[in-house]
Amino acid sequence: MISSPSPLSPPLYLPVTCEIISVTDLTPHEKLFRLKRSDGRPLGHLPGQFVQLSLLGWGEAPISVASSPTRGELFDLGVRRAGSLTTALHLLESGDTVGIRGPFGRPFDLSFLAGQELLLISGGCGLAPLRSLIQYCQDRPERFGTITILYGAKSPDRLLFKDELSSWEASQRFACGVTVDSSSDTGCYDGTVGLVTSLIPPLTLDTGRTVAVIVGPPVMYRAVIAALKQKGVPAERIIVSLERQMQCGVGKCGHCSIEHLTCCQDGPVFLLSEIEQLRGAL
Amino acid sequence: MKQLSTHQLITLFASLEGGWDVRLPVRLPDGTRAMGKLSDAPPALLGGPLPSKPTAAFFPQEEQVFMASEGEIRPSPTPERPLLVAGFTARDLECLRFIDRFFATAPRDDLYFRCRETALVAAVTGWCGPAGSFMKMAQGGCDLELVRDQDEWLLLSYTEKGMSVTRGVPHRHDEGRLERLRQLSTTATGADELLLRSAAALLRDDLIPDSFWREIGDRCILCTGCNLVCPTCSCFGIRDWRSAAQTQRSRIWDSCQLEGFMREAGGHNPLGSEALRSRRRIHHKLAADLLRWGEISCFLCGRCDAACPTGIGIVSVMKEMVSRYGKTTTYMTQEGVSTVDRSSRIR
Ligand SMILES: Cc1cc2nc3c(=O)[nH]c(=O)nc-3n(C[C@H](O)[C@H](O)[C@H](O)COP(=O)(O)OP(=O)(O)OC[C@H]3O[C@@H](n4cnc5c(N)ncnc54)[C@H](O)[C@@H]3O)c2cc1C
Ligand code: SF4
Ligand code: SF4
Ligand code: FES
Repeated sequence: MISSPSPLSPPLYLPVTCEIISVTDLTPHEKLFRLKRSDGRPLGHLPGQFVQLSLLGWGEAPISVASSPTRGELFDLGVRRAGSLTTALHLLESGDTVGIRGPFGRPFDLSFLAGQELLLISGGCGLAPLRSLIQYCQDRPERFGTITILYGAKSPDRLLFKDELSSWEASQRFACGVTVDSSSDTGCYDGTVGLVTSLIPPLTLDTGRTVAVIVGPPVMYRAVIAALKQKGVPAERIIVSLERQMQCGVGKCGHCSIEHLTCCQDGPVFLLSEIEQLRGAL
Repeated sequence: MKQLSTHQLITLFASLEGGWDVRLPVRLPDGTRAMGKLSDAPPALLGGPLPSKPTAAFFPQEEQVFMASEGEIRPSPTPERPLLVAGFTARDLECLRFIDRFFATAPRDDLYFRCRETALVAAVTGWCGPAGSFMKMAQGGCDLELVRDQDEWLLLSYTEKGMSVTRGVPHRHDEGRLERLRQLSTTATGADELLLRSAAALLRDDLIPDSFWREIGDRCILCTGCNLVCPTCSCFGIRDWRSAAQTQRSRIWDSCQLEGFMREAGGHNPLGSEALRSRRRIHHKLAADLLRWGEISCFLCGRCDAACPTGIGIVSVMKEMVSRYGKTTTYMTQEGVSTVDRSSRIR
């Protein structure tokens, strides 16, 4: 009747300690935390996965891993100051420690992406999880076709990973399109203004070989999906990474359910065709 | 057959307290029946299902995950004595089987099994229901079954654990009583089970309009009672309690009927209306869990209907669903009974 504990299954809810190696300001609201597990072991993640970041006294929050596993044992989390835990985290400095559980969730299906032309579309904080995949593509260039990165932020000062965006723009590997919703108060911005969806119609896509990946705020999905479908990209070739409130990260707490699926275990990465028909998914 | 009077049974429970943390139905001073200890209040085995869920013994309202001080994390200790929990009805055992499976499915929830693994579960069945009614026998799915018949308890052990606690009880000839009780149990079927399947089919076929959920939502006062009493509801949140010296991390029951259940830090809320939350409460049990786990996760224990102050427990809602949107409806006409196919009128 009752399953026996497996010696291989670690305690589900106990965080492991990680040391903060460095903290970098990305924008006035977002910081990049470079971490290392204190036991010296690698995180063991794949692009698209997240960790439950634990701060004693503040609880936990799901945060995507923003770096590729190909970059060694250190890993990055790009965190927006959104509420109580993330505000407390922003006060920490290198040398401080945090806890993490995970990595959790279904990663991007790298074998499905192999050999395809990738169209990576993100908005706001969504560039953090995509950066993991972008770095992976940089480090394993032979595996993928052409890679186009489209990224939109509210305003120029809210653009994440500006230096890396410039280096990706400059590299032969990537085609990049960056836009901001408005640039009213920052004078020095001379880039594109408009929603990220406006970058899609001008693209020339081989719809039989293109796989689009979308990560961004909830409002972005419908508009981007509509624009992609207009270009002829089918739902089986559109990948989304969804955000939900998460308490456990391991399929038990019920907070992240999408009808019969859980975002934390069955996702956060889904094929659009898997969830399109599910009530409340998008 | 092992048989005991109520007095002898309680004496047996008391004698087990050295080795077990014994919990059984007791009557609190205000008259409520609840799961408790013999030292809390007098035992109250008669009366049928307890108002609160017996599965709370393994998934309590608040449970410590760990204590931490000066950066050091101390996991919750394993309890000194294993739990012996009596008071499950046959339907409660179905609920227990479901959440056992839920928490056991990888990744296994070690917190749930901390007390569950070693526990002894005892069903209480037979002529012990409300107003002396018959409660269907469990006939398995537990370690021990206590079947009430003619002012006595028949003791049936199904596992080694069950046998270990009844070892000292002498055998007596049962005069065919057990067989009669088993017969009674097989004939005690529920019309509600048919209702469950009909309502589930309506949800599966997407035949319930949103206006229905708005109506149900309007009648919900967000008291969360339906979730808190449900033996198969397992939603929780994780919270830290911080004091100067230490932090306790706990998991605490949560309710999908509350506005903040799915609200994200950015404000997006996939369950942003009472209509959506009411739909989720019913859809989750009858349709989503059927898809995910291969079975409906309501076992008709009756608690949410008893608890809901506005009359929208699951059975009431299913009745409304089936009578309003069911494919066929039976009318009384002047010519007699007539069954009308309503499928064309839906939506
Ligand atoms: C899979 C996934 C990946 C994410 N990746 C990132 C990332 O890389 N960078 C980033 O800045 N943010 C990310 N988020 C969002 C981030 O988890 C929330 O901003 C964060 O939980 C807010 O916590 P808080 O305590 O500061 O806010 P509060 O508003 O104080 O949070 C209160 C409670 O609500 C819960 N909660 C609120 N909103 C969310 C939410 N959107 N998701 C999960 N739980 C929530 C928290 O668990 C917390 O207990 C991600 C969310 C998900 C689901
Ligand atoms: S009757 Fe209500 S409380 Fe009992 S299992 Fe079904 S939904 Fe849960
Ligand atoms: S018990 Fe009834 S009123 Fe209370 S939350 Fe549940 S459905 Fe709403
Ligand atoms: S976060 Fe708990 S079930 Fe997904």
